[in-house]
Amino acid sequence: MKRLQYGLSAVLVAGLLTATSAPATAAPVPPEMDAWLKAAKLGPYDTGKENWAEIVKKAKAEGEVVVYSSSSRIAKIAKSFNALYPEIKVKGFDLGSAKTVEKAIREMEAEVYNVDVIFTGGAGAMINEMLNKNRLVNYVPDAYEALIPKALKEPLLVTRIEGMVFLYNGEAYPDAPPVKNIWELTEPKFRGKIAIKNPLASLSTLMSVGVYVQHADEMAAAYKRHTGKDIKLSPGIPNAGYEFWRRFLKNGAVIFKSGSKLARASGKKGQKKPLIGFTQMGKIVRNESKGYVNRILKDLDPVPMAIYPTYGAIARQAPHPNAAKVFIAYLLGSTKITKDTKLEKPYSKGKSLELLQGFAPYHEPGTVSARTDVPLAEGGELWNTMKGWISDPDFIWREAPKIRDFWTVESAS
Amino acid sequence: MLRATLAFAYYKLKTRPEYFLSGFFLVVLSFLVLTPLVEIIRDALTYQSYDLAYRPEAVEGAFTTFHLERVFTGRLSKALFVKPMVNSLLVGVGVTVLGVVIGSILAFLLVRTDIAFRPFFGALAVVPYMMPSWVMALAWLVLFKNDRIGGAEGMLTYFFDIQPPDWISYGLVPIVICLALHYYAFAFLLMSGALMTVDSELEEAGAVAGMARWQRMVRITMPLLLPALGSAVVLTFIRSLGTFGTPALLGLPVRFFTLSTQIFNSLNARNSGDGFVLALVLVVMAAAFIYANTRILGVRKSFVTLTGKGFRQRPIALGVWRWPLTALVGLFIASSIFLPMILLLWESLVFTPGDYSFSNMTTYFWIGSGGDIDLASGEEGVLTNDRFLSALWNSIRLGVLAAGVNGLLGLLVGYAIVRTRGTTISKSLESISFAPYIFPSIALGAIYIGMFSTSYGPIPALYGTFFLLVMITVVKNLPFTSRTGIAAMHQIDKSLEEAARAQGIGWMKRMSKIIVPLSTSGIMAGMMLTFITAMRELSLIILLVTPSTQVLAGLIFGYNDQDQTQHAAAATLILVLIVIAVNILVRRSFGAASLMGLRQT
Repeated sequence: MKRLQYGLSAVLVAGLLTATSAPATAAPVPPEMDAWLKAAKLGPYDTGKENWAEIVKKAKAEGEVVVYSSSSRIAKIAKSFNALYPEIKVKGFDLGSAKTVEKAIREMEAEVYNVDVIFTGGAGAMINEMLNKNRLVNYVPDAYEALIPKALKEPLLVTRIEGMVFLYNGEAYPDAPPVKNIWELTEPKFRGKIAIKNPLASLSTLMSVGVYVQHADEMAAAYKRHTGKDIKLSPGIPNAGYEFWRRFLKNGAVIFKSGSKLARASGKKGQKKPLIGFTQMGKIVRNESKGYVNRILKDLDPVPMAIYPTYGAIARQAPHPNAAKVFIAYLLGSTKITKDTKLEKPYSKGKSLELLQGFAPYHEPGTVSARTDVPLAEGGELWNTMKGWISDPDFIWREAPKIRDFWTVESAS
Repeated sequence: MLRATLAFAYYKLKTRPEYFLSGFFLVVLSFLVLTPLVEIIRDALTYQSYDLAYRPEAVEGAFTTFHLERVFTGRLSKALFVKPMVNSLLVGVGVTVLGVVIGSILAFLLVRTDIAFRPFFGALAVVPYMMPSWVMALAWLVLFKNDRIGGAEGMLTYFFDIQPPDWISYGLVPIVICLALHYYAFAFLLMSGALMTVDSELEEAGAVAGMARWQRMVRITMPLLLPALGSAVVLTFIRSLGTFGTPALLGLPVRFFTLSTQIFNSLNARNSGDGFVLALVLVVMAAAFIYANTRILGVRKSFVTLTGKGFRQRPIALGVWRWPLTALVGLFIASSIFLPMILLLWESLVFTPGDYSFSNMTTYFWIGSGGDIDLASGEEGVLTNDRFLSALWNSIRLGVLAAGVNGLLGLLVGYAIVRTRGTTISKSLESISFAPYIFPSIALGAIYIGMFSTSYGPIPALYGTFFLLVMITVVKNLPFTSRTGIAAMHQIDKSLEEAARAQGIGWMKRMSKIIVPLSTSGIMAGMMLTFITAMRELSLIILLVTPSTQVLAGLIFGYNDQDQTQHAAAATLILVLIVIAVNILVRRSFGAASLMGLRQT
């Protein structure tokens, strides 16, 4: 079992390396895109010696940056970015991960070049459908080159990695977690009391569901540890990973459209039989902001956490390429941060915000910067003690259609 | 010879442009209505880029029955097609039965009896039609939301500590009730129109002939009402098949999928081939239903009830039942119109969701500055919110533009059809202008997204443009406006125009001085219908809006998705109030019984 260490362990880097080394032959760059790359000094024309002051100056002249994002926190980033760069207006759209990619592709097919920055998860689609089809260009600001491991900046810049976990209500189960082995969730005592974000609408959830399919053998082993018997697969179900999700759905799982709703459902106080739900680990901070009582099933057998990356990249023929560069640098946070920087709460204000910049809204338990020099958020030390499986972009790209179809079949009531 | 032909053509164009108009519209409308159909059939039968993930060896664009297999025979069929189809039919039948019964009873009470406050009730009874159909669904959730999707629960739980069971909170039952409370307006309008034209003397004649009351009802009144009833059934059924918002809000939490929500899912998951096949299923279902209906009722359509002879209607005295029935109708109107609006207002004022106490009230979601980032993602209150204001502006723009274009188009198409009456071109134009009627809204949206997301012949790619929204709204409403146009033209005798032509008055002048003024009220009715539809339509454009062309209905759907229920409630209330206000304004200024235009369809 892989154990994740502070920041980015060698294991994680290796995992992502094998993942992204998939044979991915990019299509030849069309001439109009090449002209744009040249003008914007991106891709092959990015010399590695950029004049940051000049880029900022041009960005201010461009006056605007359009961001399609999978995260509702884009609103917070837009606000703080505009405070720092009042000349560059952020038009941030929170579209969810599936729609972000969908919209960008549709627009580009229509030769409408609206968007500057794509800021989302969905590794399979981002690499295979966006990057390899010339719908994105990878951009890493010079100042950050040395701060980010190779696996997280090639072929596409990862801005952060996140974990998905099961949340339960600490008020309803004060003494011990209600579940030790993941397979308990498929048993009658949790019938109708389990929940998940809709993987058909959320690529990050799809990736996380896929992680358990990817590790089907370990899932089968966990089943045996729990019941003492070998798992019997249902007809037509290829492995124990799928079998788990099938039983999970058949056990009356509630499907949510948003992780925030799910966190509220599982974590609101005063519930008699609250849900146990699979969502982003980061939702745990709502305990503070909203008074929820969520806890993480942190010792879950086989692993408590599925890990996936979120990318930040410049869209093809972005109308404001320099503003896009500035925005991506902003997402990565100030270069003044070091390993020893003490960041004080609240992270979204004052000195902490100045340092964390666009990473501030994500500086929380369950989310880790792609940079090796950004400390973990307070309360997120758990990350170091929790085991996790990492989503493999190549596996998910090959398997996603099957998972979708499986989900469509099994979730129909 | 050639010169003579050209000269004749020019003469014709100048004096009788209706033929040229007919030809022109026939070409344009065929393009807008028929090519999309051909296109999605083609897309449904070829490999799309996304299919390559399933079948790596496939060639994009090559012929395949892949999607047909997936939808109709494969292991996905049950989930993608069979269950949603059954659910759609259940919703369609349920809504049609309930809606038509409610609408007909209401029409009968308000037209033929001496129930109290008739004009007042009559005006209010059409208000639900002006609201988006999913308003009722939002209100339903405020009342009956249970702990199924967790978090804040509805009022029932808050005030009485009762957990409504799932089948009351979500799924078939609430979907049918909510949609019926919206779509009963069709039956009400059509049936009250028909009832008004039934001469009591016909019934009295029956009485003289010794028929009992129920016999008169069954043998005389009912047959006269059948055509209107048939139209109401068709209209309600097709509309409820194509509707998306309510089944999405109330169905998805319990995984109750209909064809419309499944089309939305497929297109969103980028399995557009599947989505198009399902869209075609909806079109075929609607067409089959219309066909069956005309076969059953069509031949009996020609009862003449409007004659030049004396006509009177004597209201049926309800006697002791008058006040109880008045109270019942009042209660119905209150619960289907005022209650949802009050619930939405209340919901928009709640600070912590699920807590309906007085001390928990706030105006934050109306006028809040949005400074607190942890509150509703830092979204400002609707009245100080750029996103809301731009969506509102887009909606109004869309409504006014589409109504304007549609009014003009309805007038010209109606004119062209009526003046070339009897020719093939007239018949073809009439059929084609009616064709969008058989496309359920969500299906038409799916067709247009498929067709216009890349450049198509001489037409540039329209996806992401505001123009596309206007175009689809115009096309979808064309059946209504062209009907009102035709009806208006029928009322203007040819001789008026002929007299003008004899005096050498040109076509433009004839149109502007004779035709337009005389048909204003009919055309206004058509425009009003388009405006209302455009303002509240979700099913039609949910697939086509982009962040910069976002309209109010789409924004509200998004708010609800993000669990920003107060924002959703406030925005919905504003939308409803605008539509009602515009409707009142138009009625006042033009005297047109605006919505009554529906009766002519």
